[in-house]
Amino acid sequence: MSTGALSVVVWLLPLVTAVVVGCLRSAKLAHYAAAAAMAVAAVLAASMAVTVVGGGVAVQGPHALWLDLGSFTLGVGTLIDPMSAVMATIVCVLAAVVLVFNAWYMHDDPLAARFPWQFCGFVAAMLGVVLSDNLFLTFCCWELVGLGSYLLIGFWFDKPAASDDPDYQSNKGRGARGVLEHQLSPAHAQLKAFVMNRVGDAGFLLGIGALLVASLLAGRSGDVLAFSQLATLASAEPVGTATFLGLSASSLLGLGALGIFAGAIGKSAQFPLHTWLPDAMQGPTTASSIIHAATMVAAGVFLVARCYPLFSPDALLVVGWTGGITCLLAASIACVQWDLKAVLAYSTVSQLGLMFVGLAAGAAHGGRDAGLAHLFTHAFAKCLLFLCAGAVIHAVHGCQDLHRLGGLRKRMPITAWASLLAVLALGGFPLLSGFFSKDAVLAASLSAALADGGAAYGPFVLASVGSLLTAAYMLRWWLSIFAGRERDAELVHHAHDPSPAAAIAMCVLLPFTLALPWTIGDWLHVQHGETHGPAMVLALSLLAIGGVFAGWVFWWAPSKGHDVAGALATNLRRLHVACSELWGIDRLWDRVFTRGLGQTLAKATARLDLGSAERLAALQDVANAPDEVSLDGLVDDAARGAWRLGRAGSWFHGGGLTVYVTAAFVLATVAALVGALQ
Amino acid sequence: MIGPLLWCLVAPLLLAAVCLLLRSAVWPRWLALAGSLLTLAIGGYALLDFAQHPGADFRLQQSLAWSPDFGANLAVGVDGMGAAMLFLSGLVTAMATIVAWRHERSPGTYHALVLLLLAAMNGVFVALDLLVFYVSWEAVLLPMLPLVGVFGGPQRRYAALKFFAYTLAGSVTMLAMLLALWSVTPAAGRSVLVPASTIAAYSIDGGATLHGLPVLRTADSPIATVHVPRGFDLRHLALQANAWADARFLGWSLAAFGFLAVLLACLVKVPAVPLHTWLPHAHVQAPTAVSVLLAGVLLKLGVYGLYRVAWPLFPSQAIEWAPTLGVIALVGILWGAYAALGQRDLKRLVAYSSVSHMGFCLLGLASMTAVGAIGGLVQAVTHGLSSSLLFVLVGVVYDRAHHRDVAGFGGLMRPMPRFAWLLLVAALAGAGLPGLAGFVGELLALLGAFTAKGSFPWLAAIATLSVVLSAAYMLWTVKRVAFGPLRHAEHATFPDCDRRELAAMLPLVVLLVVLGCWPAPLVNALRPACEALLMHVQGALR
Repeated sequence: MSTGALSVVVWLLPLVTAVVVGCLRSAKLAHYAAAAAMAVAAVLAASMAVTVVGGGVAVQGPHALWLDLGSFTLGVGTLIDPMSAVMATIVCVLAAVVLVFNAWYMHDDPLAARFPWQFCGFVAAMLGVVLSDNLFLTFCCWELVGLGSYLLIGFWFDKPAASDDPDYQSNKGRGARGVLEHQLSPAHAQLKAFVMNRVGDAGFLLGIGALLVASLLAGRSGDVLAFSQLATLASAEPVGTATFLGLSASSLLGLGALGIFAGAIGKSAQFPLHTWLPDAMQGPTTASSIIHAATMVAAGVFLVARCYPLFSPDALLVVGWTGGITCLLAASIACVQWDLKAVLAYSTVSQLGLMFVGLAAGAAHGGRDAGLAHLFTHAFAKCLLFLCAGAVIHAVHGCQDLHRLGGLRKRMPITAWASLLAVLALGGFPLLSGFFSKDAVLAASLSAALADGGAAYGPFVLASVGSLLTAAYMLRWWLSIFAGRERDAELVHHAHDPSPAAAIAMCVLLPFTLALPWTIGDWLHVQHGETHGPAMVLALSLLAIGGVFAGWVFWWAPSKGHDVAGALATNLRRLHVACSELWGIDRLWDRVFTRGLGQTLAKATARLDLGSAERLAALQDVANAPDEVSLDGLVDDAARGAWRLGRAGSWFHGGGLTVYVTAAFVLATVAALVGALQ
Repeated sequence: MIGPLLWCLVAPLLLAAVCLLLRSAVWPRWLALAGSLLTLAIGGYALLDFAQHPGADFRLQQSLAWSPDFGANLAVGVDGMGAAMLFLSGLVTAMATIVAWRHERSPGTYHALVLLLLAAMNGVFVALDLLVFYVSWEAVLLPMLPLVGVFGGPQRRYAALKFFAYTLAGSVTMLAMLLALWSVTPAAGRSVLVPASTIAAYSIDGGATLHGLPVLRTADSPIATVHVPRGFDLRHLALQANAWADARFLGWSLAAFGFLAVLLACLVKVPAVPLHTWLPHAHVQAPTAVSVLLAGVLLKLGVYGLYRVAWPLFPSQAIEWAPTLGVIALVGILWGAYAALGQRDLKRLVAYSSVSHMGFCLLGLASMTAVGAIGGLVQAVTHGLSSSLLFVLVGVVYDRAHHRDVAGFGGLMRPMPRFAWLLLVAALAGAGLPGLAGFVGELLALLGAFTAKGSFPWLAAIATLSVVLSAAYMLWTVKRVAFGPLRHAEHATFPDCDRRELAAMLPLVVLLVVLGCWPAPLVNALRPACEALLMHVQGALR
């Protein structure tokens, strides 16, 4: 089968699977059938990857016309290049693994049969983003990815808000603050995720509009939104001096790039739109493991890499600063979270920031490959971490408080050592995958900073500090759960490793955390420039400092009976509170956007439009409706005025001679005036 | 001999008479269903014909002389736009009939009124004669008055009166326009110059005749002469656009007066902010099935009127007013969205979402691009599907709970999973999710506005905000109704959607998905008509 046809099969297989398993009644059968289909898709995607990566070529797959609109067309088609083939393989592999794990994780959940079809649909949407050959199809699948996450985050749809949930209240940690508990429920989290993503998507749509205008301005027609067309548009010298609203074609391209990045900010949970991702922890942990690894947040990074030719150095600087700020901000929050899933969530946000820092270094410094490499290595490590987190939460009956767990390594050895490997990979331990990708990101970023100077140093510095914190909070996470003594014997009493099938699923991911040639680098030809050496030294020092610090605070000191963490929290109280309160961003969003620009403005509009509830209730009797200003009330006033005029008219009809004479005189005067004026 | 389109007018009228004569409670339902399915079949046939053989010409034409001296004929025919609307009219009426099945008081009268309404709506969509158009336009009001005012809720009289007075005030001006056009035309008719491009777009016999009139043309000349008789044929009136621009009426430019008259009549129907406040009252008081008809078809009359009358007859005025109309559209999009976000009554919420969605129809048309014009009509069709679905769903929940306060629900996914999933689909269609039809119209209208001249890219940029707002009000509603813990214990016993309700909804869902994934047939059917319209309008500049 040709590579192009293969890509279509890879894309449609999950979609067909979703339909088929949606009809199955047995949850277990549905899980395993879906997993088998994903495994087949993974093999096909891998064979596709072998073809294109070996030659380093891009293959245009089948392309069909979706709409012919005269001046331009919209199409659907696939594009297979090393980037998309590798990403598609990763998506399918992780999907198969997560499905097998979930068969155990949800074995006693009555809703379990819903999981496989929603999951497969989600995967199909993501594969659409990955394999699409034009921006229009990418946008469509991008939105459908949003729908997939919406469904999975709200999987346990009737769970009450945390403030009304006795389980949550009894399990929540001492350090619980900053979270808006009355809004913490799957039903609210899914809404928040979708709407905040839509904020980014509005930018994406504007970007598409700008690119469309730029293409038409350059005199192009046909499928102007195809990536190949956009790439040539960006590289071509500006044709003529045609402008649109005073904007030249190149500034429109810049606007388009920023619009696309706005979409990426939403989907990849970057500052300031990152707040939906930690809330999305309300979904099943297995859903989080795919959302955080391959299907949702990866889409933004992938999109920026896909549209790389459109990004000018200035646009990349915006990308870099956004990524850097997010990296540090999220890492600082992750350091003080009490909820084991929240730590992982903020860790994802932080790592995504790091990927954008890598991308922002520019093609000349190997930034694109570095960012993608980190995307790929992070996918495996984070997926594994979430599976381990799911195993732990399952083992301790839903407790997620890091302060109450501890010492689980003896009861859950497989989980403990698998997650340690993933933690070290994420932290960038030598010979593990993250070591190379993080080094590549820092090297690229440093190289760009040295070349450009000035503001280009910002992303590098922010990312370096973020990396330091990464080592610290990831080790804290592992030590709090698995190391030391059992702090709550009752809680961990029944803890045990997951079932053999689920454990095997976890172990399948272990080799992918190693720095083997086929996990990174070799395929993507990460460039090792002059900054490679310094960056590696820096990355190792950061890891060492962060790791030793975390080991001292959370392992050595507690074992000696010292509460260093508590002392630190007291001494650095303001910093600690700021981090615990999520830097106030959640509250700010809630106050300014949800309540202010959202509900208050909406209520005011509704009130101004139809009036108060009292007025609406009194509408039986128009004459006695409350006297208040509203659009609808004005209409009634006008109607009442016309009615009174009618009453006056009836007096006119019955009037005497004087009335008629007066009326005739007035009319004649008016007529004469009108005639004179013309 | 009566052709298919004339049957769309005559059959519902005949069936309505039978409904009134029969003293049966069962037969009227079947007759109403038959009438609407007939319309659906004919509309569907015409639409498929245009999809397969695109063209800007009018098909299934028929003309019966009505008053030859006056120049009025009972002339019918459809182009792509008319076919799409006729299809929508038949489909929505059929669904509304199923919704009302066994739920209507005095079925005979009720279904007779629905059939009358159907005949009037079809009349607007198939009219080729302005007089037929106007009479149908006004005739829509007659059955609507009792459908809201007699069959409606507790405040039905207020709502019906407001609806009636508002829309009548809007359309009286149209009558004045109609008479003015006739009065300034010489009895012998007038010769007009027609660009060759217009002939190429509309002529079906290689340029020998245009709209049934012989074309006088010297070889290779870009301009031809056509002699147009006095009368009300819409296509002939459009040919005389320059004459209307030159004529005076009561001291006004006739074109300015006529355009504003039609614009007012249409904007009230659409409805455009600030002329929209009759809509929430009418929707809240109307029974479910009438709400479906109101949102599904009646609002489209306004859009269709702009496409069929205002734009072709008064092109230079259309160009002049387009920026203003664009602003009106934008205000409607955002105002409607915000007002929807602030509602507690489910029906009122859906009504305001209609105001917002219909704004995209205006934006697309006003952008003066073919893409935007296509988008506006696609949006009209898809909004007919999605808002009908939403109103049926509100009716489902109202039948069980006997209230529509959104705060009084919660967690209905557990007792009513089918209802909840359908509500989610409808909400996502309203929020413009790709893969569902609502996306196509919005996207094309926005892309049209982006690529348009003047201030439209800015308007489109601001209108993009509705992407966020529509997701917010639609999915927030789904959350409050379907998700979360069950709020009231008695809701646990609510039965899920039954077969009647599913029968009314599933065709809409299927069409939403099919048109969302594969809109090419609809767009191909609309494109030539829209491109010809735009060419005609822009020709007025020269």
